[in-house]
Amino acid sequence: MDIYEYQAKKIFRDFGVSVPYGVIAYTPKEAKEAALKVSHGGPWVVKAQILAGSRDVGKFSDRRAGRRGGIRISKTIDEVYENADEMLQNMLITNQTGAKGRLVSRVYIEEYIKTTKKFYLGFVVDRITAAVVLLLTPVMAHMNDDILDMSLQNPDNILKVNLGLQRELTSAQISSVIHFMEYKGKRNHLRTFLNRLLNLFYSYDATMLEINPIGLTKDEKIWALDAKILFDQNALYRHKEIQKLIDDAGVDEREKAASKFGFQYKELNNGIGIISNGSGLAFNIINEAKKQGLDTACSLNLKGGVDRDKITASIKLIMTNPKVDGIFINILGGFLRCNLIADGIIAVANDLGLNIPLVARFEGTNKEEAINILQTSGLPLKIASDTVSGLDMLKEAIAEDL
Amino acid sequence: MAILVDSKTKVMVQGITGTQASFHIQRAIKYGTNVVAGVVPNKQEDKHLGIPVFDTVREAKEKTKANASIVFVPAKFAKSAILEAIDAELELVVVITSGIPVNDMLEIRRKLQNSKTLLIGPNTPGIITPQNAYMGIFPDNIHKSGDIGIISRSSTLTYEVVLEINNAGFGESTVVGLGDDYIIGTGFVELIERFNQDKKTKAIVLIGGEGGNYEVEAAKLYKSMPHQKPVITLMLEDPLPLTRDSGVATDIICNGVTSFAERKKLMQDSGIIVVDNLSSLTKELAKL
Repeated sequence: MDIYEYQAKKIFRDFGVSVPYGVIAYTPKEAKEAALKVSHGGPWVVKAQILAGSRDVGKFSDRRAGRRGGIRISKTIDEVYENADEMLQNMLITNQTGAKGRLVSRVYIEEYIKTTKKFYLGFVVDRITAAVVLLLTPVMAHMNDDILDMSLQNPDNILKVNLGLQRELTSAQISSVIHFMEYKGKRNHLRTFLNRLLNLFYSYDATMLEINPIGLTKDEKIWALDAKILFDQNALYRHKEIQKLIDDAGVDEREKAASKFGFQYKELNNGIGIISNGSGLAFNIINEAKKQGLDTACSLNLKGGVDRDKITASIKLIMTNPKVDGIFINILGGFLRCNLIADGIIAVANDLGLNIPLVARFEGTNKEEAINILQTSGLPLKIASDTVSGLDMLKEAIAEDL
Repeated sequence: MAILVDSKTKVMVQGITGTQASFHIQRAIKYGTNVVAGVVPNKQEDKHLGIPVFDTVREAKEKTKANASIVFVPAKFAKSAILEAIDAELELVVVITSGIPVNDMLEIRRKLQNSKTLLIGPNTPGIITPQNAYMGIFPDNIHKSGDIGIISRSSTLTYEVVLEINNAGFGESTVVGLGDDYIIGTGFVELIERFNQDKKTKAIVLIGGEGGNYEVEAAKLYKSMPHQKPVITLMLEDPLPLTRDSGVATDIICNGVTSFAERKKLMQDSGIIVVDNLSSLTKELAKL
């Protein structure tokens, strides 16, 4: 769960973390007005707002935007207008967006802060040691600034400070950060900056807090030039104000619908549609299908679903996906009961008809009931006894269907 | 012999009156599980499914000598329920609940550090000793008693593995689901050690999950163990694109293990047999 940079910066400001002054804009005209509100002389930074990182080194899909990325320094008001015009309603492609990129629906106009040094700063949860870890690494101009790439390329140049479950950094931890950054400013300034971020991290049930980058000005003042907060989806019920900010524009419609029901839906290529209950199980099916030369269009994971209506609505997502040329249902029921899936298939088929091949395989809780429901339905579908033979049957049926 | 759970284990059920808990506990009792108590704060009834219900874990433990708990309590209230079970010094707590907030799990993990409790889960199918007893939500018609110990991050893929193993003529000593949430209570290491001491278990099968640093820890342990039982691991490459939300990137940065291939090599170097599909798994078992 993610929010835009300008929204995250508002939260930063609320927690007393220094961020540049900025105004959001949805049109080039608004961008110009925003720039005048921010400062009279400039320069300004025009920042494309999408829910993905590495915007600076990204590219726009529409050539009118030129070759530059989604973060641009603009020296005049006219430049602000031009840059906003080029970015808005364009798709920004970065190494975190996938090939399609993400639509830029708004730009953030910010005052430009001249810095002498930049660092990536992150607070993350290390699940192996069950601790919060502070990550810090220098950022060079125009390099690929993804922390994962940086850590792979230069693992020794990252400072990792295990904070356990401390709500404040210890004196020794502050010292190690100062030493790593070669920070010459006031110790208290740095301490306050880090502790306020850590406070924000816990207060909002964040699972990751990234500032890429923080910037140091000549007078050793620290600024959060960027802001990314990942919220724990399972803790959102404790933060109603954050729920309101969550914007799922750009998320696939089917994915959105499934996630609303508490299930997981993923699009891959063209090919078969998989309905299963477990991510490991789905991986195994996708791998086995590949071995038989079957590509996968999408995969629906019903997890431990028990709600009949939600299951039915989710099955509909797969059965109405035009990229799907055959359906493989593989349910190993424990918590989830097989008969609910069978009922769902019948309901959707009665509603829309069943015009592509479908093979189902059930094991576990209420297996016999499920098979019985499907076999007596009169629908043109097949029942398999295991994954491999089920995929065989589906492959054959798809070939006949063509 | 088996590990962790058998028909002598005295099991209490936290959140016993819920619909799902009731459904699965009835089945577990029929299977042979010794369910002795239920716990529901502010209980409305003294008995549920014929089992005495108590307000607190401590009271249930005192009155029934229960030594293990299975938790069905909804995620919002799970932290409190789990901390209560750890405080009462139960030996084993199995958490079925999924979606417990990360911050809550961090607190629970801290509490576990100096406790007498082994926490399995959350988001686990549980622990089953076939044809004997289980604490969990297993489909009860698929497991068969035998000498293979299984430890898994996945739930349903484990059922698939069990079916394949049974078809090949083997059976399971005990199957342990570690759980598939972002943070889990116990990793592979602790359970490999337990299976290693179990006389019935002849070989151990590991099934990994997303990321895979728990497996890497297991590899390190295995390499250092003096008397090893054969360990086979099923490693499936994630066909879906990696997302930052999944925490895999953090695993890599914090623990330094990179690609799937590198992880695989680390496992192999430790002496663990690595397979990438189910039929190879049973072929390797047959060779032992």
